[in-house]
Amino acid sequence: MDVRLPRLGEGADSGTIASIFVKVGDAVKKDQPVLELESEKAVASIPVPVDGIVAKLHVKEGDLIKVGQLIMTVTEAAVGASTPRVTEATAGEEEPEPVQTPAPVTAGAALAPQVAVVVHETLDGPQPAASPTVRKIARDLGIDLRRVKGSERGGRVVIDDVRAYVSWLQEKAFAPQAAVTPAPPASVDFAKWGPVELKKMSTLRKTISAKMVESWTHVPHVTQFDDVDLTRILELRKAHAGAYEKQGARLTVMPFAVHAVVAMLKQHSLFNASINDVSGEIVYKKYYHIGIAVDTEHGLMVPVIRDADKKSMLQLSKEIQQLAEKARERKLSLEEMQGGTFSISNQGGLGGGHFTPIVNAPEVAILGMGRGSVRPVVRDGRIEQRTILPLGLSYDHRIIDGANAARCIVDLVRAFEQFSEDDVKI
Amino acid sequence: MKTEKTDIAVIGAGPGGYAAAFYAADKGKKVSLIERSPRLGGVCLNVGCIPSKALLHAAKLIIEAKESGVRGIHFSAPTIDLDAMRAWKESIVSKLAKGVTDLAARRKVNVIHGKAYFQDSTTLRVETAEGQRYLSYEKAIIAVGSKPAMPAAFDLGNPRVMTSTEALDIEQIPPRLLIVGGGYIGMELGTVYATLGSEVVVVEAMSQVLAGADQDLVRPVLRRAKESFKEIRTGVKVLKMATEGKQIRVDLEMGGEKRQELYDGVLVSVGRAPHFGDLGLENTGVKCTDRGFIAVNPRQETDDPHIMAIGDAVGGTMLAHKATKEARIAVEVITGESSSFEHVIIPAVVFTDPEIAWCGLTEDDARESGRKVDVVKFPWSASGRALSFDRTDGLTKLIIDPETERILGVGIVGAGAGELIAEGVVAIEMGATALDLAESVHPHPTLSETLAECAEAFYGYATHTMRRT
Repeated sequence: MDVRLPRLGEGADSGTIASIFVKVGDAVKKDQPVLELESEKAVASIPVPVDGIVAKLHVKEGDLIKVGQLIMTVTEAAVGASTPRVTEATAGEEEPEPVQTPAPVTAGAALAPQVAVVVHETLDGPQPAASPTVRKIARDLGIDLRRVKGSERGGRVVIDDVRAYVSWLQEKAFAPQAAVTPAPPASVDFAKWGPVELKKMSTLRKTISAKMVESWTHVPHVTQFDDVDLTRILELRKAHAGAYEKQGARLTVMPFAVHAVVAMLKQHSLFNASINDVSGEIVYKKYYHIGIAVDTEHGLMVPVIRDADKKSMLQLSKEIQQLAEKARERKLSLEEMQGGTFSISNQGGLGGGHFTPIVNAPEVAILGMGRGSVRPVVRDGRIEQRTILPLGLSYDHRIIDGANAARCIVDLVRAFEQFSEDDVKI
Repeated sequence: MKTEKTDIAVIGAGPGGYAAAFYAADKGKKVSLIERSPRLGGVCLNVGCIPSKALLHAAKLIIEAKESGVRGIHFSAPTIDLDAMRAWKESIVSKLAKGVTDLAARRKVNVIHGKAYFQDSTTLRVETAEGQRYLSYEKAIIAVGSKPAMPAAFDLGNPRVMTSTEALDIEQIPPRLLIVGGGYIGMELGTVYATLGSEVVVVEAMSQVLAGADQDLVRPVLRRAKESFKEIRTGVKVLKMATEGKQIRVDLEMGGEKRQELYDGVLVSVGRAPHFGDLGLENTGVKCTDRGFIAVNPRQETDDPHIMAIGDAVGGTMLAHKATKEARIAVEVITGESSSFEHVIIPAVVFTDPEIAWCGLTEDDARESGRKVDVVKFPWSASGRALSFDRTDGLTKLIIDPETERILGVGIVGAGAGELIAEGVVAIEMGATALDLAESVHPHPTLSETLAECAEAFYGYATHTMRRT
């Protein structure tokens, strides 16, 4: 069968092929990642939908490809060699969009757009199918229908698609600009002063860079510092690590942190919210998807643990480990990096004290954890040795006041320090 | 000198001109419609589509009566009263022309019969029977149409050498009739004359007759024409003609060999030429194309900001319905809409026996442009309806985009194909897929089923055919 680039998720419809994992003649299994795509949003691996043998590759590394584009031809394994063409042609289009919409939340432009509006960057394709009425309306509005994604059979553009496109354009046009981006500083010839080495920024690096600029310029940041006494957590960890290991899981500080953060978010829903700049609403999310910043050799990636509030410590341990591995192998799907409500950046494994993480917009808060160290602490009038871990909670000052943050970090510290053993027990 | 004022002046009252005038009037404009002949309707109504279809209908009756023997119905040979036939045809034409005149009056369109001449970009001088009139306008729409081309070498001033205009008057039935040009006009009028008793020879300079249509659609027409016509020759060049007594001597060149032949009549149907030479366009900013037609953009605007042009005068497919569509676009552009003649599907119908009709992409187009398409065909021998009236010599085909399954073109040959093609036009304009067509229920027993069966055949499950594998 012909393997085409599947829908990538919200707002993304193209990307550059970073690497291809297979070659002609390779056997592939269903869901096996076959290539890695760098898009504006992130880097994601693209799985193959069937078992079979790679018969032909239609793309090469570095190609810019679009959703629906032919990637490779796979000769299917024995069973059902000939899929009826009807099914084959429509299967890709009817795949449901990966949208999780909790009832009360309305997402606007500040969040990723929910409408499946796809903007084609190039206009060299043929005109899409559309009725004369739709074409007339488009012409009147000055819209090139080649930019509008048709939702009907054969990519046919109907009036609702034009409507969705127009409202998307409008939202885009009236969304508050992330300040006026200053012109980039003039390029400096560093070679004048000594030998240099030039290296192209990868798409991922550019993505991170753009994302950071956007968050930094758009969100007024404040970072609230505190220290947490980690001694109890380390004791719990010591007591239960063995049992976790038997289940194939490593009990690190991270699952404790996720668990404590969720407990805090349940008391401080504002820290789990987002701002809809267009509608002027605060979107309170009734779900807890926690992003975990993972350091990889390519750069920062933030996979998301879905519904962290519904998961046991054992599940959290396993999932964090899996996501981190996937991130390092660059096998995360776009979906696995979307929908976060709060992020944690843990530098404990590397060292360093307090730091000021940048909020991962459209989230409104992020926790930065430094390295824990044993320090003399006064407890009940006595000096004791305790493991102290520095915390930095950065937040979006537009909706979170300093007092909110102070109350929040106090509760967060308590959630760490009074961690219930029942929650750790398997 | 008194100058009348009007919002829009339309020159020519054919299917482009009167459509433009009426539409503009309906949109509240003050309109003047100038027509040089005493009757409205243009070529289409007076000496084109309508009279030729009337005569073809008469021919069809004769053919059907002749072929009814197999059904156990026997008629004696018909006697033809040409005068009565002409009067009948005339009555149809004048009824329609009167209808157009009435419609113009009801819309308060100011109809002026006379020859128009551009004094400058915004003034027309019209020579009427009552003298000269001057008309100033905001916008003029040129819709003067075309006339049958008559190369000088054939123009003997002898009435035995006809164009379609004279041929439609059926003054006589020449025993031996040569038709120069195997396009749709030659083939249609050839059918009429052959049925009325002429021995018809068609000569075509190109390698095939009815160029533009896919050859598989032309084949059934040729098969039948070869029976009713004496000959159809392709690759023939007509060098010159001369009067020889009551006949015409024609010099031909065929495969490098020259010969002379004698005919009692000749129909020259080698195409249609623009005729706006005496319109005074040199006094305006209007420019012409290399092929001698008025140059316009897709909004029907000429190079003169006050003047638009539509229909045969701008070239392209010279068909009445194309002119009518352009009339709508021109008026909409004048009234400030953003209309444009782009991605418009213009169907073509050839009223031969059987008829050929097609729209959108043809198989030849696809082949030439290298576009990958799927073609599915449904032969009418599998249609119960076609069998029921002994006309299984038909074929319906769809040209489909294999990627999106969109219908890109439709081609039909068969009795009444012209009445079937509109479904294809709607399908293409709506961006329908083959599945859309297959899923729409077509009534039984009708020829329209052949379209649905074609679409089904694309998916491999047409009820009445099996896809060869």
